[in-house]
Amino acid sequence: MTDDLLTIITKQPYGSEDAFAGMRLALGNLVSGLVPEAAVLLIGDGTLNAVASQRSGVLGMPSNLEALQDLLDMDAPVYCVEDDLRERVGDVEALEGVTMVGWEGARELLSRHHMVTTF
Amino acid sequence: MGTLTIQIRSGTMMNMDTNVAVKLARAALDKGHGVKIFGYGEGVTLVKDGQDPKRFPNVGAELSELMSRGAEVIVCNTCTTARGIKRGEEIAGTAIGSITNDLSRFVSESDRMVTLAR
Repeated sequence: MTDDLLTIITKQPYGSEDAFAGMRLALGNLVSGLVPEAAVLLIGDGTLNAVASQRSGVLGMPSNLEALQDLLDMDAPVYCVEDDLRERVGDVEALEGVTMVGWEGARELLSRHHMVTTF
Repeated sequence: MGTLTIQIRSGTMMNMDTNVAVKLARAALDKGHGVKIFGYGEGVTLVKDGQDPKRFPNVGAELSELMSRGAEVIVCNTCTTARGIKRGEEIAGTAIGSITNDLSRFVSESDRMVTLAR
């Protein structure tokens, strides 16, 4: 039986539903109270979800930034592999509250959580 | 024995993910494990009643056998609504539920979760 879930997001914020769906899944688990720790780890193109200046309104799509903020507001830990983010967009501002980690930190998160799902 | 949750996010046609989910569920049941299947995104088509693929395995029909052996099958309400699948259109024994009430329970009651998606 499990009381923690790590949701890994590998997909970019827009162009597919995956990243938003993953954040909503993490939030739903957290809100239920049945899964006390529902953390999110952004890797690869998924790190783009943390870019603070994204403007989803241009596309008429739900805001992944707000979805991340909802998680942070619930005190869910949100981690981002910094190297992957910088490799894609350089030194841009990330959403406040997102914790930058290296790959060693990402591996530690993977080993610490009992259940992992990927979007 | 343990409990396995299978999170399926692919639809019933176009690829074999749902076939894999059914086979995986059957194998786990054969070994005496509990099985829970949660459909999310396109995966909600898993429970649509009346599936009738002419040349491919009928995954919907196979669900009934799995459930008769104790498997629990629930899909996301927001995702079914978005796709025009209404309550009452699901295969008997399956349920349209939610992440908050159902997937979270599956997670909390399971020892392992496998995610099938593209």
